[in-house]
Amino acid sequence: MSEDTIIKLENVSTVYEGETRPSLKGINLAFQKNDLIYILGPNASGKTTLIETINGLLPAFKGKVTVFGLNLKSNGKEIRCQIGYVPQDFMVKPGEPYKALDVVLMGKYGQIGFLHQPEEKDKQEALQAMKLIGIQDLADRAMGKLSGGQQQKVMLARALAKKPKILLLDEPFSNLDPDSRVQIPSLITKLHEEQDLTTIVVTHDIHHMIDHCNRVVVITGGKATFDGTPEEALPLFAHPHTTKLEGHRH
Amino acid sequence: MGLIGVFVVRMRLSAIGYSMSHGAFAGAALGVATATNPLVTGLLFASGTALMIGPIADKARLHADTITSIVFPLNMALAFVFLTLAPEVGLSSQVANVLWGSIISMTNSDLLYLTTLFAVTLVVVYFVWKELFAIMFNRKLAEADGINTKPFVYLIIFLAGVVITFSLKLVGGLLIYALLFNPASTVLQFSENMRKVVVASPLVGMATTVSGLFLSLFFDLPVGSCIVIVSTIVFVIALLLSPKRKRREETKK
Repeated sequence: MSEDTIIKLENVSTVYEGETRPSLKGINLAFQKNDLIYILGPNASGKTTLIETINGLLPAFKGKVTVFGLNLKSNGKEIRCQIGYVPQDFMVKPGEPYKALDVVLMGKYGQIGFLHQPEEKDKQEALQAMKLIGIQDLADRAMGKLSGGQQQKVMLARALAKKPKILLLDEPFSNLDPDSRVQIPSLITKLHEEQDLTTIVVTHDIHHMIDHCNRVVVITGGKATFDGTPEEALPLFAHPHTTKLEGHRH
Repeated sequence: MGLIGVFVVRMRLSAIGYSMSHGAFAGAALGVATATNPLVTGLLFASGTALMIGPIADKARLHADTITSIVFPLNMALAFVFLTLAPEVGLSSQVANVLWGSIISMTNSDLLYLTTLFAVTLVVVYFVWKELFAIMFNRKLAEADGINTKPFVYLIIFLAGVVITFSLKLVGGLLIYALLFNPASTVLQFSENMRKVVVASPLVGMATTVSGLFLSLFFDLPVGSCIVIVSTIVFVIALLLSPKRKRREETKK
């Protein structure tokens, strides 16, 4: 593993919850520090499984996942404390009893540790994360009263509150209003650069690819079928497979 | 009950609550049949059910609801088998107490147990509040943030089992889950602050219990049934007045 390799998957197979057949089939991938990677692929191709295999939410039943040079299997909790994660299609229903600041602060709970209570500095760091996204005025608002775009930004702030080294974003452009759909990709790129992150974005949206990432991985049928630069990926979009991707674009 | 009920409702462990209350009922029935202290056997069965459901669901990769759907009728079947094992007991007042509860039969020791249990639950909740709060919001996200969620979910299941067993005498095995869920579900209709829900839920539970008791004394009706009826009426009123429900309806329009 080279010094700059921050995530490494060696011959990894994973079964998604409730499924019997593997969603990832013997994948080999290595991600370098400060990469901004877009993971593309048709529906149910294994993109979400890949993200959840990297942070250990779905344990690989075959192969080895190494993050920060540590084996994920035996260091899952420590590794997850350094990874910011925004899940797919996450929406809080109206009336749910959580304030936006509470939700952002929760991102730090793993780091704060068992039997320790969040202190004022933790709250300030959570507010700082909200400020980075430009949503500090939402701190005291009930989560369920926020729009889809606002909730997506709160979840992004939650992922950043722990000052992660890796950011995993699963379909961050879904559920967004047109304005946010323009803002969020640029915001992710800005945060990636400013916060010295390694960022993996799962998306169907190929239109932001050229401007916002330096590497593209295409997952098809649980396997990595393409791995290269956005420029190298461009010709794929003339291919019938990528027309399918376009068809699934949100 | 009102306090632990908030976590049971928010962690979507309601089916587990049903199973445990009936586990406690089956255990108490065994106690009656074997002339053992029903509290001890009830506690053993409720704890056994609680300790079994979570790990089995995790190991078998099944939703806890699937396991509880199997354990729930099993506990009921066991309860009736145990009650028929000792025909001389029949539907004696002791059995009736287990079935429907009897606040009059509660002793000073029972009250002491309940008070101690409430204090212990409060202390536990205080120390693990942030983990419980994160799990109630979303268990998967809590796990992704570095919280090992399993021990906390099992802790709530276990505490619910203990609380149910110690409260059996109050409303009985067949009605007890109403006291677990109704206060939390009532308060959740109004509050958008989880800390307030945790404080208000036991208060609503206490108020409905006392009101049910007076109703029972006034009309000479079974105490447990009156408590559950009052508690359900309060929930229905809360639902009718609920600003959250009204907002949800407006959103749908």
